[in-house]
Amino acid sequence: MTDKTKSNQGLSRRELLQAIGTVGAFTGLGGGLIQPNSVFAGLPTPRRGGRIRVAGLSSSTADTLDPAKGALSTDYTRHYMIYSGLTQFDSALNPLPALAESFSSEDQQVWIFNLRNGVQFHDGKSFTADDVVYSLMRHKDPATASKMAAVAAQIESVRALTPNQVEVRLQGPNADFPIILATSHFLIIPDGTEDFSKGTGCGPYKLKEFIPGVRTIVVRNETYWKPGQPYLDEIELIAISDEMARVNALLSGDVQLVIAVDPRSVRRIHASGRADVLETTSSLYTNLIMRQDQFPGSNHDFALAIKYLFDRETIKRSVFRGSGMIGNDHPVAPNSKYYAADLPVRAHDLERAAWHLKRSGVGKGPFPMFAAPIATGSVDMAALLQMSAQKVGLNLRVNRVPSDGYWSNHWMKHPITFGNINPRPSLDLLLSSFFVSNAPWNETGWSNEKLDQLVVAARGEGNEDKRKQMYVDVQTIIHEHCPLSIPNFISFIDGFDKRLGGMGAIPIGGLMGYSFAENVWWNG
Amino acid sequence: MNLFRTLGYSGTLGLSLVLFWLFIALFGPALAPHPVGEIVAWDVFEPIGGANLLGTDYLGRDVLSRILHGTRFTVVLAAAAAMLAGFMGVSLGILAAVSPRWVDESMSRFMDALISIPGKIFALVMIAAFGSSLLLLIVIVGVAYTPGCYRIARSLAVNLNQMDFVQVARARGEGRIYLAWAEILPNMIHPMMTDVGLRFVWAVLLLSSLSFLGLGVQPPDADLGSLVRENMGGLAEGAPAVLMPAVAIALVTIGVNLVIDSLRGNVSNTAGSV
Amino acid sequence: MMHIMQLIARRAGTALFILLLVSAVVFSLSSLLPGDAAQQLLGQSATPEALAALRESLGLDKPGYVRYVTWLKGLLIGDPGVSLANNMPVAELVAERLPRSLVLAGIAALVSVPIALTLGILSAMYGGSRLDRVLNFTTLCMVAIPEFLVATVLVLIFAVKLGWVSSLSYAPPGASLGQFLSAYALPVVTLFFVLVAQMARMSRAAVLDQLSEPYVEMAVLKGASLPRVVLRHALPNAIGPIANAVALSMSYLLGGVVIVEVIFNYPGIASLMVDSVANRDMPLLQTCAMIFCAAYLLLVLIADVCAIVSNPKLRT
Repeated sequence: MTDKTKSNQGLSRRELLQAIGTVGAFTGLGGGLIQPNSVFAGLPTPRRGGRIRVAGLSSSTADTLDPAKGALSTDYTRHYMIYSGLTQFDSALNPLPALAESFSSEDQQVWIFNLRNGVQFHDGKSFTADDVVYSLMRHKDPATASKMAAVAAQIESVRALTPNQVEVRLQGPNADFPIILATSHFLIIPDGTEDFSKGTGCGPYKLKEFIPGVRTIVVRNETYWKPGQPYLDEIELIAISDEMARVNALLSGDVQLVIAVDPRSVRRIHASGRADVLETTSSLYTNLIMRQDQFPGSNHDFALAIKYLFDRETIKRSVFRGSGMIGNDHPVAPNSKYYAADLPVRAHDLERAAWHLKRSGVGKGPFPMFAAPIATGSVDMAALLQMSAQKVGLNLRVNRVPSDGYWSNHWMKHPITFGNINPRPSLDLLLSSFFVSNAPWNETGWSNEKLDQLVVAARGEGNEDKRKQMYVDVQTIIHEHCPLSIPNFISFIDGFDKRLGGMGAIPIGGLMGYSFAENVWWNG
Repeated sequence: MNLFRTLGYSGTLGLSLVLFWLFIALFGPALAPHPVGEIVAWDVFEPIGGANLLGTDYLGRDVLSRILHGTRFTVVLAAAAAMLAGFMGVSLGILAAVSPRWVDESMSRFMDALISIPGKIFALVMIAAFGSSLLLLIVIVGVAYTPGCYRIARSLAVNLNQMDFVQVARARGEGRIYLAWAEILPNMIHPMMTDVGLRFVWAVLLLSSLSFLGLGVQPPDADLGSLVRENMGGLAEGAPAVLMPAVAIALVTIGVNLVIDSLRGNVSNTAGSV
Repeated sequence: MMHIMQLIARRAGTALFILLLVSAVVFSLSSLLPGDAAQQLLGQSATPEALAALRESLGLDKPGYVRYVTWLKGLLIGDPGVSLANNMPVAELVAERLPRSLVLAGIAALVSVPIALTLGILSAMYGGSRLDRVLNFTTLCMVAIPEFLVATVLVLIFAVKLGWVSSLSYAPPGASLGQFLSAYALPVVTLFFVLVAQMARMSRAAVLDQLSEPYVEMAVLKGASLPRVVLRHALPNAIGPIANAVALSMSYLLGGVVIVEVIFNYPGIASLMVDSVANRDMPLLQTCAMIFCAAYLLLVLIADVCAIVSNPKLRT
């Protein structure tokens, strides 16, 4: 089925228009975000040349040029500048051909990738099937310390059929496999690379300077495989971790593009007249996790009570200033093609919460909830939940802990903690990473046989209608039975200088799904 | 005795500020129009004088209520931590000055080592080991400022120890404790109080960064420094949510330091008459 | 003079001991921290297998004391090891950042110390006067405003609103004077706000104390002018505590400027250390801690020498 042959020119006109479709409007804040006809009006011709400076979110000595080790948004951004993947995302997170000119599978288990001819790495070496074999198989080697080791476990073998054709054999059918390869971790590096300090790839820019924790400077790759692209001469990527400072740098003209703008800064950016913001609605969420194997999360009624206590509207308005979307205690965002629209959104219902709480018999607490600034919005969400709980006589205590070490020491370790889950390229990947019984990060520690079967069946299902029905059932099960609450989905908000052209939304992350570099141009 | 005359103009001002903030610390929560965590408005960073006297914060909570609730944390914790540091620093500093050289040396070098341990690691280890509690917060801030206090105290005490009147007392055969207590301490109390007053200011600010780390005051409560920090987003629009807690901090700390300064009023007067 | 040379020699000896002690304490304290470099590197995506493999490749499977001794041995031959976070030599990482930190600290000190001491001494000379009250009040206000607020307000006014200077503080090598000023003006002013109070207030208090001593009153009665009394009689005897206050303030300039480095995006050594804590990057962390410790020891030694030189009675 998935034999797609699309334009080689990066985002086509149609895809750009699709991108516009996912750009939400910030109606609640007055001013509105970018309007479809402001930036994309008549699709202005890209301009060549110019240098911009981009401010990411965080950067440290752990910054890396190894795509497999990418840990932070700044890493992903850097990797998309230098490397190319077999596939790339479109604005609806479908796989577009990239270094693979086309890809297909009969049974969703054995995938054939036909590689593009005449592509060169930055050092002049030609791109061949061996590079693909090496780039993919290294994720299975524990010594690589790949962030995607758990995902790569499904790869059984990768074989070069000819210098231009690769066969990937999976352990089970997976209709989403080509999408997974679009993530930055699976970008292609030259066969045998051990030392990454040169940053040799076949991406749109060549590495000029890289100082971990300080900056990355890249210059245009004149022999990039997308004709005419990229547009900029040079990009400097830095990181400014303080949000105020980041926005200030944008407004003072010291940087031209920033990631992760707080919704509260949108008003100010508009007022400046100098810059604009782009909201990318996404399936990023911060969730409340109740451990199934610990008191009180083990009590089904307690978990339900908590789900009814969340005031989703207030969280959306107060914590996220109207950005993002309301969640329904399952991980599928309302703008997803798989969203179960017929499943009513759980209301903020104190009476039902009180009823379930009484039935649970767990008492009044106090029960500590662990939250940390690193899980976006969790501290404020916890404080709001605490206020709601007080109204039904339940004592939930906010326990703000250091962001430092939060994932290894607190997340999923106490009875009630907050998690923060980035968008995944496919729903299957999300479910098999976080919701099936043997998921590597089964946050609540629950197990549901029906769900496990549905996830496996949907993964190998090539028919989209049948697949959607399975995913609707999955959402209903999680909504009803999983002791976790997903009250809201959070948007990515980028700020950019108005002279920057070509910005769009790819909802895997901010900065056009971290891959702005090959798509934007400078009108300065 | 006329208290106001002794304190002088700025001392009186300082004392009134201190009394005012003590009053707020004691009765603030009772006076607050709203609970500390309640969302009272849909808009954030509202200006002064609307439905909410001091506007709203970054979530739409009442700024006045949050300041009234938060003052007690700042006043009590910072004062306790500064006094702890002052007490430890001064007693050890004097002890070092009147003790044999090896005691002085080992204590001084120990303090040098203590101050060289990165505070963030120390705080994180403490949180990991003992969790988050207000008492722990006081101890951490107190210990963090002890070596600095010690260094200043010791240098004052060593100078004093060489003064004639101390030497005379020593020649009289007075013991070390007596020398420290009756001869040295009274003569270094003013500079030390200046130092402790300043450490009080720093403690207020350090508390907020430790709270931010997750140590100490837990949401929805927040000390004054944390109020400033969490509302920084409103700074560009001049939101009272960020300015008012900052003004409150300034008034608390200036009050305390003006009182401290005026306690040495007689000295200033002599000098002023020169 | 002999006494001072002895002091310096003795201090140099104990300094080595303290550095060793501090590195050992920092090592054991950070071992107590939950999580190790492997966990921090893998973050949310850690699985037991991945952790075990990464620990082995980083050498974290060896017991703590072995790793410490290995690091120490390396240090003795001048090699502080390799960063666990990115496999780069620690020496290289530090060499990139330390000079920048020293430049910022140096400029901040050059600006702050003279102004602060002048303000403090002026205050003391005219103790109780209106000038004294105004200076006193101003310095208090300056220190009472949180550092991050000062820095951000400065950026809002001078970079965003007026556009006079850059909001990011980085002067490329070979920058012109204008670029240099533009890059350093705001961070230096911020640091001045933070530092001025301790030095000004301490010097005021110390000089005032001397002014109330009988010998000063004697000098005044003999008809010496006020500036002369202060500079010739009071100040020398007040140098001990002042020098200590200055040393303490200066030690802050290397390790304590994290907020300034973050807000102005200045790549200094304080944020390097914060990174190393977050990454549990022990070789880097210990190296940074020892640099701060050494700088501190040097500063307090200078302060102690000043105190002894200025007070004849301590020279015995």
